[in-house]
Amino acid sequence: MSPRERKRITKATRLRLYSSAKYLDMGTGGELGLRIPFDVYIQDPQVAKNHLMFGIAGDLVRWEPGISDGPTSARFAVVDYDNDTGEIAPLAKWVDKDGVGCFVDQNNKPLGRNNTTSLQFDQVNVWALLQRALEFFESGPGLGRPIPYGFEGNRLIVVPHAGYGKNAFYDRASKSLQFYYFDDEQGNRICTCLSTDIVNHEFGHAVLDGVRPYLYESSLVETGAFHEFMGDLSAILLLLRNNTFRRRIAEDTGGMLSESMQLKRIAEQFGAAVTGNEYLRTAQNDLKMSDVSDSDGPHRFSEVLTGAMYDILIAFSNHYLKQKESPAEAFWHAIDRMQRVAIQPLDLLPPVDVTFRDYAMAVLRAEQLANPTDPHDYCGMMLRIFQKRGIISAKDAKAFKEPRYVFHRLHLDVPHSVEDISSSRAAAYRFLNDNRKSLFIPANQDVLVADLYDANKTTRQGLRMPRQIILEYVWREDIPLEGSQFGDYEGRMTTMLCGGTLVLDENGNVLSWSRKPGTTGEGRESRWEAECKEGIKRRDKFLADLAKRIKKGQVGAVLGSGKGILGSHVPPVVVSERDGILQFKLSPHMHLDGADQEHYQGGSRWEVSS
Amino acid sequence: MGSKLLIRSYNVGCGDCIYVRIPNGLSSQGGEDFFHILIDCGSKEGANTNVMRRSIKHLEENMLPPVDPDDTKSRKRLDLIVVTHRHEDHIKGFDPAYFKNIQIGAIWLSGAMDESHPQAQKAHALHNLAAVGMRGLAGSTGLSPELQDLVGLYGIGNEDAMEALITELPKRSNIEPTFVFAGDTSDTHGIKIKDTKLTVLAPEKDIDGLYLGKNTSAKVEALMGVAGETGKTGKAAKSAKNGNPSNISGADFRALQKRLLSNALAFAVDDTTIQNNVSTVLLIEWGGRRMLFVGDAEWNDEFREGRKNGSWNVMWNKRQPFLSKPLDFLKVGHHGSHNATPWNRDAGPEHEANQILDAILPLPAPRKKPTAQCVVSTKRKQYDTIPDAQLLVEIGKRVSNTINYLKKFKKEEPGFKADNDHIANYSVPKKYSTPPSPREVGEAGWFDKPQPVRTDMASAGKAFIKFDPKGPAEWIDVEIDPK
Repeated sequence: MSPRERKRITKATRLRLYSSAKYLDMGTGGELGLRIPFDVYIQDPQVAKNHLMFGIAGDLVRWEPGISDGPTSARFAVVDYDNDTGEIAPLAKWVDKDGVGCFVDQNNKPLGRNNTTSLQFDQVNVWALLQRALEFFESGPGLGRPIPYGFEGNRLIVVPHAGYGKNAFYDRASKSLQFYYFDDEQGNRICTCLSTDIVNHEFGHAVLDGVRPYLYESSLVETGAFHEFMGDLSAILLLLRNNTFRRRIAEDTGGMLSESMQLKRIAEQFGAAVTGNEYLRTAQNDLKMSDVSDSDGPHRFSEVLTGAMYDILIAFSNHYLKQKESPAEAFWHAIDRMQRVAIQPLDLLPPVDVTFRDYAMAVLRAEQLANPTDPHDYCGMMLRIFQKRGIISAKDAKAFKEPRYVFHRLHLDVPHSVEDISSSRAAAYRFLNDNRKSLFIPANQDVLVADLYDANKTTRQGLRMPRQIILEYVWREDIPLEGSQFGDYEGRMTTMLCGGTLVLDENGNVLSWSRKPGTTGEGRESRWEAECKEGIKRRDKFLADLAKRIKKGQVGAVLGSGKGILGSHVPPVVVSERDGILQFKLSPHMHLDGADQEHYQGGSRWEVSS
Repeated sequence: MGSKLLIRSYNVGCGDCIYVRIPNGLSSQGGEDFFHILIDCGSKEGANTNVMRRSIKHLEENMLPPVDPDDTKSRKRLDLIVVTHRHEDHIKGFDPAYFKNIQIGAIWLSGAMDESHPQAQKAHALHNLAAVGMRGLAGSTGLSPELQDLVGLYGIGNEDAMEALITELPKRSNIEPTFVFAGDTSDTHGIKIKDTKLTVLAPEKDIDGLYLGKNTSAKVEALMGVAGETGKTGKAAKSAKNGNPSNISGADFRALQKRLLSNALAFAVDDTTIQNNVSTVLLIEWGGRRMLFVGDAEWNDEFREGRKNGSWNVMWNKRQPFLSKPLDFLKVGHHGSHNATPWNRDAGPEHEANQILDAILPLPAPRKKPTAQCVVSTKRKQYDTIPDAQLLVEIGKRVSNTINYLKKFKKEEPGFKADNDHIANYSVPKKYSTPPSPREVGEAGWFDKPQPVRTDMASAGKAFIKFDPKGPAEWIDVEIDPK
C-alpha cells in the first residue's frame, strides 16, 4: 500500500480496525497504520559504532489510540526527570496526521536514525523497545493475555535519564523503570536506556512482578535468582527475536549457535560496551545446581537456569538445521518455539517462593499441553537438560516419564462450574473455601484470591490452544523467629506465604496445579501428611535462608528522603513492619557494575562519620 | 610538673579539644618557656551548654601565658593551633569571640581544607554537592534518624567556623593560615621547639587520588559538568526546573522522586568518611617520646592505588617508618569509633589494620606491662556505635593508663550498680529505620574491664554527661616523662 493509499485510512477507520489488530500479521498491520515504524538501536550506541551491521534497525510497534507526548501510551509513561539536576526534559512530541504517526523533537524534526542526538530520541527508543517487549509477553505465543503490573496502577513510569550512575532497575514502590547514565573510562557517556539488553532485562523484572507479585515477598535466594533469570531470559529472547539481529547472526554463524565462536565473540563485545551487560555470554555455561548451592547472591545462582534454557534453544536450533532448514529459518523457528516454551509456563507457576524446579516442571507441563504427541521428543530433550544441571531430580524425571492421562479432574467436596469459578474473585474464593480439605487449605487460614484470569495462548502454528482459567490463591502462616541466628529480629514474628496456582481448561479439567503448602493440615490422611511434610521443609528452608542473609548483613532498611534513596544502603532484602509482624521483601536489584548487592554488608550497621 | 609534657583533653561531649604543653620548648625566650598547642576545638553540643566557651576560657585563664611576660593583663599566647578536619565536633569552638584575648602564633589546617589545592578539587566539589543536597533536605519531615544525623553535618554553623579559621582568627593575630600535608614538619614551617619535632603524617597531597578513588572521582567529575545537561553529546536539556511532568500525576511524581537514587546522599556519606580521612595527623617527637594525634582518621581493609583509601592505610604505605615503632601516646581517633583505630577483630595479625595496631601499640610481652598511654574524648549515646566497647577493651590491653570504671564508681559510691543506673544496658533514644528500634546497646560485657581513660566517664555526671551551663570546665590529663 502506497503512502497515498494509506492516507486514505482515516483516524476513524483506524480506530475501528484497532480491535482486530491482534489478528493481523506484522506487514498488514503496518500497511493499515496499526503498526508504526520506529528506529531503535539493535543493541546500543557503542555496538552500533563498532559494528555497523548491528546499528539502528527499523521496528514496527503496535499503534494504539491513546499514544501521546512523552511518549505516553496505555502501559508506559516516559518521564525524563534527572534527579541530579532536578530538571525535567521536554517530552518527545507525538504527531499523528493522516494516519501516519511519529514522534518529533523540540524542533519538530522526526526522531529516528537521522536524528539520534537529542534526549527525545532516547525517550522514544526506550518506549518503542518496551512496547515491543510488552507485546512479546502478552501475545498468543507468550502468555496470551494482558499482563497486570505488580503495583497499584497500569502505567509503568519510565525514567530514561534518572541521574548519574552505573545503574538501572525496576522499582515497584515508585511504579518505575529507572535508567541512569555514566561515563566509561574513555569518557564516553553511556545511557543505559539505550541498551536494548538492559531495557529488556529490567522490564523482565516488571513483567514477572506483575505475573507473580508475591515473589517479591521472599527471602529465598533461589526466588531472587528466578527474578534475575527472568530478566536475563527476557534480554536474550527479545534480542534474538529482533529480525535484523537474528538474520545477521544466522549469516555470520551459519546457524551453528552451539559451536559458534562468533556468537560468543559478539556477546563478549556487547558485554564490554556496557559493563555487566553479558546476558548472552553468561548463558553459555555448564553450571549445575550443586555449583551454586552455597551462593549468597541471585546472579550466579540464576546462571544455572539461564544456561539450561539456552541449551534448549541451541537444541531447537540444531533440530531445525537437521531438518535441512536454512540457518535463518532454523534460527527463527527455534526462537519462535522458545518464546512459547519459556514464557507460557509462567502461568503455571505457584504464586509464592518459585524455585527452578517449579519452573522446569512448568516448562515440561506446558509443552505436554501444547504438544501432547511430541513426535520429536522435545520433552525428553528438555528433561535431560534440566536433569543434567540438577534442576530436577532423577525421581522427578522418572515420575514425569510415567504414562498418564493428559488431563485429570479434582476430587472436590463441593463442585463448582468453571463459569462460576472464573466469574469473579469472590466466586473463586467460594470455590476455594468450599473445598479447603480437597485443596489442602487449612480451615483457620483466611485464604486470598491473589489473581484470577483467562489466557488465550497459541501454539507454534498460530493455532489457539484451549482457553485457560488460572486461579492463584495465597495465605500467610505465622512463623516465630527463634534463636540468635536471627540477630536483631530474634523473638519477632514473621509470616511464610503459602498457596497454589490452579489452571483449568474451559471444561473444568485440571491442566496444572502447583502448590506451596503450609505446615499445618486437617486430619491424618496421608495426602495431608505429605503436604504438611513439604510445608515443614519449606519453612525450614525459609528460616535457613533468612538466617543466612541476616548473618551476612543483607537484611535491612532503605535509607531515603523525599529527594531520593541512598543506593549504597539498599540491602538485598528489605524488612518492614506491619502490625508487629515483620515482612521481608526483595529490594530492587541495582548495580550493573557487579558491585552487587550480593556482597552488600552494610545493612547491619549505620554510622555517620562526623 | 615542669619537665613533663602535658596532654589535656577537655570534656566537650562528643568532640575534640586537646591542649598540649611542651616543656622547655622555647628556651630562647625569656620567662615562661612552654610551647602551647591546641589541637581541634569542637563539639556536637549546642552553644547553650556553654561547653566550648568555658573550656577555652579555662585554657586562656589557667594554661596560657601572657604575650608580654611583664604584663599579665596582655593577651594570652597560644603558639600553634592544629585543625584536623572540617567536622563540627573538631572546629565548632573556633568562634572568634572565644579567642578574642588569645594571640595565635600559627594555624595549621589540613591541606585538604585549602579550596585552591589542585589535587583536592574533586573532594571540594564532592563536599559542595553534598552540602547543597543536604541543605535542601534540612527541615524535611519524615527523615530517618540516620539521615537526620547526616543532614546535621552540613549546618551553616560549620561553614562559619571554617571562615573563622581561614580568615578571621589569622587576621586578628596578623598571621596567614598554613595548609599542611604529610611530610611537613615544624622546621619546614619555621617553628623551632627545643628537642622537639612536629611531623605531619597525613593527609598526602594527592587528596583526590588517594582518598576519593577513581570511581568517586569520575562520578564527581561527571556531575560537576552535568548541571544543566544530561550528556556530553550536546543533549542540552533546555528545561525549566518546573513542577510536575505533564503526563503523570503529582502524587506519582513525588513517589518517584522519593525512590530515585540520590547522588547527593551518596556524596554526603562519602564526604563524611573522606573528611575524616583527610584529617591532619600530627606526630610530636619530644624527649625521646612519640605522641600521635590522629583526628578522626579512618582505616579500611588494605591500601590500593586508585580506590577510596583509609587514612591509616595510606600512612602505612606512604609513611611507614613513622608508624613501625611503638608510640608513647595515642589520641584515640574518632571518639573511640570502630572505624578509626586500626583493628580488625575478625581477621588475623596479617591483616593490614592489625599490623598497624601491633606496630604502634604492641601487646606487652608476657609478664610485662604496657607503657604507652592514650586518651579517648567521647560521649556515649551520641551515636550508638561510639565508642566501640570491644575496641576500647582491646586498647586497654595495650596501654598503661587504664581504668576499671565499675570498680572506680563502686569505690566512689558504695552500692553503685551499673544495671540500676542503666549503664550496662541502655537504649539509644532514636527510632531507627532498622528494627528493632530503639536499639539496645549493651555495655555489660566491658564496663568492668580496664579501658583507656575517657572524658565522658571522668565527667561529673560519670557515664552520663549532662552539661550544666554554669558548671566548671572538665578535663583529663595525661603526663609524659622524657626518656
